Amino acid sequence: MTVERPGQRGPGAEPGGEALNQLQLLLDRARELATALQETLPAGAQTPRSSNPDLAELQARLLDLESDRTSLSQSLAEHEQQTGRLMNLYVATYQLHATLDPNEVQSTIAEIATNLLGAERFALIFWKGDGSECEVTLGQGLQDDPSGFFAGGKYSGGDPALDATLTDGQLRIGPIEGSAALATVPLTVQGTTVGALAILKLFDHKPTLRPEDRELLDLLAAHAASALFAARVYSATDRKLKTLESLVNLLRKG
Amino acid sequence: MKPKKVLVVDDSKLLHRIFEIMLRNCVLVHAGDGVEGFERLGQHEDVDLILLDVNMPRMNGLEFLAQLKADAKRAHIPVILITTEGKEADAERGIKAGAAAYVRKPFKSEELLVVIAKINPGGAA
Repeated sequence: MTVERPGQRGPGAEPGGEALNQLQLLLDRARELATALQETLPAGAQTPRSSNPDLAELQARLLDLESDRTSLSQSLAEHEQQTGRLMNLYVATYQLHATLDPNEVQSTIAEIATNLLGAERFALIFWKGDGSECEVTLGQGLQDDPSGFFAGGKYSGGDPALDATLTDGQLRIGPIEGSAALATVPLTVQGTTVGALAILKLFDHKPTLRPEDRELLDLLAAHAASALFAARVYSATDRKLKTLESLVNLLRKG
Repeated sequence: MKPKKVLVVDDSKLLHRIFEIMLRNCVLVHAGDGVEGFERLGQHEDVDLILLDVNMPRMNGLEFLAQLKADAKRAHIPVILITTEGKEADAERGIKAGAAAYVRKPFKSEELLVVIAKINPGGAA
C-alpha cells in the first residue's frame, strides 16, 4: 500500500491530509526552535542536556508530537484503505440494483469482475431449467481457457470446486486442488443456488485475490443473482404486458 | 480555489461512479466513448485532465488520444490511460502517443491520486 507524505495529494485529497501537513509544518518549526535554543545556550548549559529542564521538556514534547504524527499517518492510511473497500462495495451494490435490464445487470457483474476484482478470465453460469447442465450466460477470455469446461456456451461439470459450489452453495477461494478456478461464487436466490461465477484467471499484475476481495465476492453471491432474477422477471412481465396491450388494442379496433 | 475539471471517458458505468467518489472535490464530465468524449470537450473547454479507458466502442482510447494530440488547442490537456495488464502494449503505445501516465485496473484510490498529483493538472493545487 502506498502511504503518501502529506502535501503530495491530488485534487481529491482529504481534509485529514491537510491536517497532517499542518502538523508536519509545526513539527519542523518546533525542531528549528529547539536547534536555535541549543545554539544560543552557553556551552555549559548544554551538557548534560537533561540538566536544562526547559530544553528537556521541549525535546520530550517534540518526541510526543512526532509519535502522534506517525500514529495519525498510519491511522489515515488505514482509513483510506477502509474507505476504498467500502466504496467498492457501495458502488457494486448500487450498480447491480440500478437497472431492471438483464443485459445491464450482466454487464455490471462483468465490470465488477474485471474492474474491481481484476479478473481476466471468468464465467457466469446458470442452471438450465431441467437441471441437467449449466448455461454460460456471460464469459470473458474463455476462448483461452485450457480446461475446455465451458466450450460451446455450456458447463456440464468437471471442475471440482465449481461442481461443489453449484451443489452446496458455498463460496470457495483457491487454490483448490484439482480445480483451475481461483474462486467459485455461488449465485443464490432465496436460498437456492441458481448458478455460479467462476473466476479463472486474474490480470498478471494481481497474482492472487486479496483478503478484501472476499467481501466483494460475498456481495456478488448475495446480490448478483437476485438482481439478475428481478430484472429477468420484470423483463418477462413487461413483454407479456405489452403483448396483452397490443391484443386489447386489436380487439378494440376490430 | 476553483475545483479542477476532469473528463472521464469510459464505457463502464461502474468506473464512472467510482471516479465520482474518488474525485469528489473535482468537477467531473462524463463520456461513454471517444466520440462522446470530443462532444464533451466541445462543451467544456476548461477541462484540466482526461481519464481515458482504452477499450471502448465507436472510438477507442488510443484513437481518441491520437486525435486529441493532433488538435493544437487541446493537445496540452494531460491524459491518464486506464488500462489492464493484458493490454500492456496498449499502455506503452498510449505513452508514446502522448499520454501523461497510465494506471492499471483494478486500482486503489490512493494510486490514482498519486498519479494525478505527479501530473498536477491545471497548475499548482
